[in-house]
Amino acid sequence: MEYDPRLYEQIAVSDNDTHNIVLSYLIHNCFKETVESFICSTGIKKPADCLEDIDRRKRIIKFALDGNALKAIELTEQLAPDLLEKNKDLHFELLSLHFIELVRSKRCTEALEFAQKNLSPFGKVQTYVKKLEDLMALLAYEEPEKSPMFHLFSLDRRQMVAEDLNRAILAHTNQPSYSSLERLIQQTTVVDRQLNQEHGKEGQSSFSLEEFVKKKIRTSTQEFPSKGQKQDA
Amino acid sequence: MVVSECRREESSLKRRKLWEEPMTMEKGSSSAYIGPMGLIKRHEFVRVIIQCLSSLGFHKSAFCLESESGICYKSKDFEVLEPEILNGNWEDCIKCLSGIKGLTDETRSSALFLILQQCLLEFLSHGDVSTALAFLQKQVSALKMETDKIRILAFNMLFKGSGEINSSISELRKKLLGELEKLLPPPVVLPERRLEHLVGTAVVSQIDSCVYHNSPGPVSLYEDHCCGRDQIPTDTVQILAAHQNEVWFVQFSYSGEYLASASSDCTAIIWKVLPDGGFTIKHTLQSHQNPVSFVAWSPDDTMLLTCGNVEVVKLWDVETGTCKRTFGDHGFTVSSCAWFPDSKRIVCGSSDPEKGICMWDCEGNELKAWRGMRMRKVLDLAVTSDGTHLISVFSDKEIRILNVLTNSEHIISEEHSITSLSVSADGNFFIVNLNSQEIHMWDVVGKWKKPLKYTGHKQHKYVIRSCFGGFNSAFIASGSENSEVYIWNRQRSKPLEVLSGHSMTVNCVSWNPRNPQMLASASDDHTVRIWGPVGTIISKEETIPNPCIMHFPLCTY
Repeated sequence: MEYDPRLYEQIAVSDNDTHNIVLSYLIHNCFKETVESFICSTGIKKPADCLEDIDRRKRIIKFALDGNALKAIELTEQLAPDLLEKNKDLHFELLSLHFIELVRSKRCTEALEFAQKNLSPFGKVQTYVKKLEDLMALLAYEEPEKSPMFHLFSLDRRQMVAEDLNRAILAHTNQPSYSSLERLIQQTTVVDRQLNQEHGKEGQSSFSLEEFVKKKIRTSTQEFPSKGQKQDA
Repeated sequence: MVVSECRREESSLKRRKLWEEPMTMEKGSSSAYIGPMGLIKRHEFVRVIIQCLSSLGFHKSAFCLESESGICYKSKDFEVLEPEILNGNWEDCIKCLSGIKGLTDETRSSALFLILQQCLLEFLSHGDVSTALAFLQKQVSALKMETDKIRILAFNMLFKGSGEINSSISELRKKLLGELEKLLPPPVVLPERRLEHLVGTAVVSQIDSCVYHNSPGPVSLYEDHCCGRDQIPTDTVQILAAHQNEVWFVQFSYSGEYLASASSDCTAIIWKVLPDGGFTIKHTLQSHQNPVSFVAWSPDDTMLLTCGNVEVVKLWDVETGTCKRTFGDHGFTVSSCAWFPDSKRIVCGSSDPEKGICMWDCEGNELKAWRGMRMRKVLDLAVTSDGTHLISVFSDKEIRILNVLTNSEHIISEEHSITSLSVSADGNFFIVNLNSQEIHMWDVVGKWKKPLKYTGHKQHKYVIRSCFGGFNSAFIASGSENSEVYIWNRQRSKPLEVLSGHSMTVNCVSWNPRNPQMLASASDDHTVRIWGPVGTIISKEETIPNPCIMHFPLCTY
């Protein structure tokens, strides 16, 4: 939706808000040193236990990203004993990660035994059957990375699982699962789409953040200098 | 199949030679083709007989026949495959299966799937995980299996840890063999009970061509089956003369124990069918002010609805003969009514176009109504026995079939006036009588583009009714303006029998649903006639004005 650029200028954005947005993003993604230096530079209040929590989480997520799902599970159980019980899907995905790693390193016998022991309970639940079929089928190929299931080896997949684990741990420690920055972008996109739909604009339903930012920045610097702009800290 | 167990003495080498040229090596008669038109291959015939002997339990005979004829029941391919499966020689098994000619890809891959499944199960149950995986991987790449089957095979490995099987290995292998037998096509494996099937087909075909066939049960193989006309009602067995005026409607109850008749003398009578086939009056229902032209039994036979063309609907209790309720008033006259299978809901069609069709419960509360501008006079209606369809005839050439559950409707337009409607017991077909002297049969679901037509009777001006009847509803009967009752076999459009006896127009017929050899007809000559097969004592025509009936016991039931 196109609005008069002057409308934007009338909205004051407080420092506190912007700092919190950045801080939330940094904490969410475990950028510990950046968090420390940001807190120093801006002088905002450091949340309690923040750095220790980041440390713990960072370790767990790193193990997951590296494919060491068993260690990630172990540490998660230590940190939050019933988290995986309550998040069956996540538990399944982590176990699958380990299974996939075993297959990738050609330890298929071990993989099958692991699956029989740890994944078979999931096999009795209808929602997991299709995923399990995919996983187990990896064992049937001499070169699983060339099989129709090769997508299971992708890094993207591992990142998604790690991200899910991150969100679950954050939720468990009563922190937001999504950083404010993410939410803001999501909000803008949703609202923009909705408005376009209501005003009957076809073909404009895909919101491009890049386009949006480019347009808004260009417009405001051209027409309305200085008012509302902040100096760099 | 246990034929192999009887063959221990024979050397397999000799057996293999016999298979190579089945036709030239046969002993006995030399012709390769048999049967009345030389259409049957002799060696196939013998093979089918061997299977039959075995399935009847005559294994020694089966074995004897194999040696005497030189024809082997099991095909060469199967003889090779069977021991490999029973002994678990999986590699050889797969090689053999891949080499069998004449299999579709689908069959072959399904068979391979079954074999692989058993094989993996066996490896895993011994704890032989690495062998299992190696075998699976090898076969998957060699056989180019479909992904779906691979997924299932792999998935099943989750549950087959060591020592987890219930039956023994050899039992499972036998079971596998059985499943393969069902899967593999002829000539590799014969379909089960092939001879029984072939003979059964012939018998069914004979029964289908038997126009008088009217009873259940097996038929003899010794002669081609053909019933005589003594199977269907053709002669008057009784005359029920209790009405004072024209009898317009007659219908048996669902249990076949009662018959209801309705007359222009403003009464309806419930007759009881006695065990010896005779009829007595149970109740005379007398409170209508006008002629009664229609009755409808509740599906549980406890209640009877009566109505007339310019008359209200009355609900009667069959046991006591009392009128439990009257529906409508002189404003709402009902031409026809029908019950839903729960015996709790009634639909009535009105001769008044504004009233349309109404659904009531037995207490008289209106549950639903179909009214509106498109409604015309309702001439007749019926509900199928499962309650899914409501069929109505609108004046005067339109039939509407409504699916009560989905609310979808389809319409059939006839070219001539329709006078009546009757639905078959299974709810799949219905017949309508037309003023053009034709009866048309349509299917309820509406797939037929054209009706089946039955002719021979006379119908120009009056409402004449017909019905389905006989064993399997194989027959149609109808009244006629020339005072005769007509019977058709559903497969033929010309009448099978014409029954004489009435002296005036026959308005309505009803076939006893429990006794396929009992037919009732209602006529303007004030009587109801009961018809039965030839061979029962023929009645003399006597009309008696009191409710006391002449009857002659039926011999058949």
